[in-house]
Amino acid sequence: MAQQEQREIITQLVVFQLGHELYGADISVVREVSPLQRVTRVPRTPKYIEGVTNLRGRVIPVVDLRRRLNLPVSAATKATRIAVAELEGGQVGMVVDAVLEVLRVPQSSIEPPSQLLSKVDSEYVHGVAKVDGRLIILLDLARVLQREERKVV
Amino acid sequence: MGFDFDMSAEDIKVFLDEAEEQLQAMEAGILRLEKDGQNPEHLQEIFRAAHTLKGSSATLGHKKMAEVTHSMENVLDKLRKGKLALTTAVGDTLLACLDVLQAFKEEIATGQESGVTTAAIMARLAAIDGNAAPAQEAAPVPPEAPAALPSDAPPLSAEEEQKLTAARQSGKNTFWAVLLLDKNSPMPAVRAFQALLAMGDVGEIIRSWPTQQEVEEDRIGDDLKILLATGESLDKVRAVLASVPEAGIVALSAVSAVSAPPAVSEDAAAALQLVEAPVVSESAGTVDKGAVAKVGKNESRTVRVNVEVLDNLMNLVGELVIERTRLNQVLTRLEMDKEGDEVVQVMSSALAQISRMTSNLQDEIQRARMLPVENLFRKFPRMVRDTAQKANKEIEFVVLGQETELDRSVIEEIGDPMMHLLRNAVDHGIEAPMDRLRTGKPAKGTVILEAFHEENHIIISVRDDGRGMDPQKIRASAVRKGLISEEAARRMPDHEVVNLVWAPGFSTAEKVTDISGRGVGLDVVHKNIEKLNGSVEIMSEVGKGTEFRVKLPLTLAIIRSLQVEVVGTTYCIPLSSVVETDRIPVSQIQTVRGREVIVKRGEVIPLLRLVEAFELDRPEGYEEPEEFFMVIVSVMGKQIGLVVDNLIGEGDVVIKPLGKFIGDIPGISGATIMGDGDVAIILDISSLVGAVQAEINRREALRS
Repeated sequence: MAQQEQREIITQLVVFQLGHELYGADISVVREVSPLQRVTRVPRTPKYIEGVTNLRGRVIPVVDLRRRLNLPVSAATKATRIAVAELEGGQVGMVVDAVLEVLRVPQSSIEPPSQLLSKVDSEYVHGVAKVDGRLIILLDLARVLQREERKVV
Repeated sequence: MGFDFDMSAEDIKVFLDEAEEQLQAMEAGILRLEKDGQNPEHLQEIFRAAHTLKGSSATLGHKKMAEVTHSMENVLDKLRKGKLALTTAVGDTLLACLDVLQAFKEEIATGQESGVTTAAIMARLAAIDGNAAPAQEAAPVPPEAPAALPSDAPPLSAEEEQKLTAARQSGKNTFWAVLLLDKNSPMPAVRAFQALLAMGDVGEIIRSWPTQQEVEEDRIGDDLKILLATGESLDKVRAVLASVPEAGIVALSAVSAVSAPPAVSEDAAAALQLVEAPVVSESAGTVDKGAVAKVGKNESRTVRVNVEVLDNLMNLVGELVIERTRLNQVLTRLEMDKEGDEVVQVMSSALAQISRMTSNLQDEIQRARMLPVENLFRKFPRMVRDTAQKANKEIEFVVLGQETELDRSVIEEIGDPMMHLLRNAVDHGIEAPMDRLRTGKPAKGTVILEAFHEENHIIISVRDDGRGMDPQKIRASAVRKGLISEEAARRMPDHEVVNLVWAPGFSTAEKVTDISGRGVGLDVVHKNIEKLNGSVEIMSEVGKGTEFRVKLPLTLAIIRSLQVEVVGTTYCIPLSSVVETDRIPVSQIQTVRGREVIVKRGEVIPLLRLVEAFELDRPEGYEEPEEFFMVIVSVMGKQIGLVVDNLIGEGDVVIKPLGKFIGDIPGISGATIMGDGDVAIILDISSLVGAVQAEINRREALRS
């Protein structure tokens, strides 16, 4: 038994909050977490793109994750953070209500996504982790942060 | 199919670098020979480069390359020894060899066979080599005694005899000249005509065989004989004759003893300045690394640096500059809170020092990225020569300001547009030689490519002494092609009309040629230049020539900009497109066909409210002010007024891309980080002006 547990694959998750729900993203994708700072709106972009910000001398886009996932919008608080994801096309910042912790989750506690569990479109969800009775929705950030074909303005 | 060479990758790299240098040296040398005549020094240089390349390619094991260079060497050797005259055909073949060698070099670089074979080029080389009739034999000339016409001179008429006697009596020199016209010249009649004109300038032509009229009617033979009366010396006459291309001086002698210098007889070879070349000091055949290295330029104290490293350095310095600004802001706050505090003073002086060093660092790195434009210009002479030949034009191509330095990223991007402007000048700007002579211009047209600095910019100018652009023709052509209405064409002032050539689908040539394309091109040139935040201006005078003046920023990474504010966001407008700024009462805005305009100095300028263009939301309770700020920008001579909330100031900004996630947005070219750490948006003026113009055109179309 003990041996089997050791061989268990562990996923490390960055856990953050949007509304009352907990979301998680693979730690290898989330590069850093930064306090909410000034974001410059970029004209002619979809609503869910908050704009661009200066992350240590680099200009990176910032996405309002609530809007992106079609969740109700809320005002920023002291806990609001920008979680920076490192994707193929570069870095993208995501505005989240709060970043809570980094969790080690055994693969066995992750279940496939179920429509009933979340308001979030299942195509954006890898699965759901159950940890200490809490449900953490695992986001597929590559999908979430993929730009759909933009209409030509 | 791949290549496998018995050499280390490092050695192959050295070979490639050196081969490139040798190919460039040969190309430059051949073009120089064609231009300045057979200078033994230049010939020697080409010979040496070919010889070295032969050796090193043989060592490398590229047999075909060695084979071609070997045959080239033979031809060059004959040239060097005066056994072969440098005709256009010889020049063409030698240049064609370089193209083949270039292809072979690529094979070695990529390890892929190019499919280029040597058969065709070897045949051409053999043809020249075999036909290498000694230049001397081409025109044997018996030495002539002065004071009598050569025996082979046709008889003179009584009138001409009289002229000759009169000239002699008035103390003038009388010369007898025989010119051999190059059989391979595409236009021997033009050469003959040129020679007659040149002689007419220095004296009086008593008689020529064939006569001027015969020359004009293209009735000429292999040579041109001239009997000249002149006050000039023999040397002067020889110099003038020598300047006529593709015509060798076979004989030139005084035919009068009166104050004439001793008679001189020259053969064609001597006239072409063919001098036995000095003995090659290298031992033929064995080329070691040392010899190869010697051929290269003088030893320079430089290292090769990967471009990426320079780009990274540039980015890091950009970040350093931003952090420096932040620290300075902190310092200002500290100084206010703790005035006179010793620690704050220390920090202040340290920061001042850091500021200075950061600026120096920025300058140095920027300098490291600069290359002389020579790197770009050196591929042009060959292109101009080939284009001129195809178009049957004669071009004197002058390159100035090669040492002017420019950021390497700009050099990379500007090559194609410049190439196009040069082709355009040769193909469309310069007239055919006969046309030029008829209008009193020299048969040879001049195209000047020049680079120089002007304030914070570099100007690259392409100017020709050709036919110039005729505003009337451009108007007619634009109307015919449906680019503009007849009414609009008539109203348009001449200086704006020339800008119509930038419109897609426009071509100034009466006929389409396969050289400058089919009307595609100039609009692309314009777009490319604008992409670099540059601009281009046309100055043209009918009959006198045309100048294209390309104005470019020294670097692509940093631009000077005017910063404005709209709904709380800072926008940067490249200063290169700003005409002026103004503050205007709302009451002055008029509406023409549904668009807001302002009339300034009699000109109607369409307005573009950035708030509307970018669909920005005003905060609630926003009240329209009585006056507004307007920035007049201009692209291709089209002006629009951008309506903004506030003017902030001017400054250098480091351009950062918006990234793939945001993608291309019409009207926006990038972002930048301001001194306070905030991000500002950089406007793409050309697309904004284009959109307004398109909108106006659409409305006009609807109306008519």
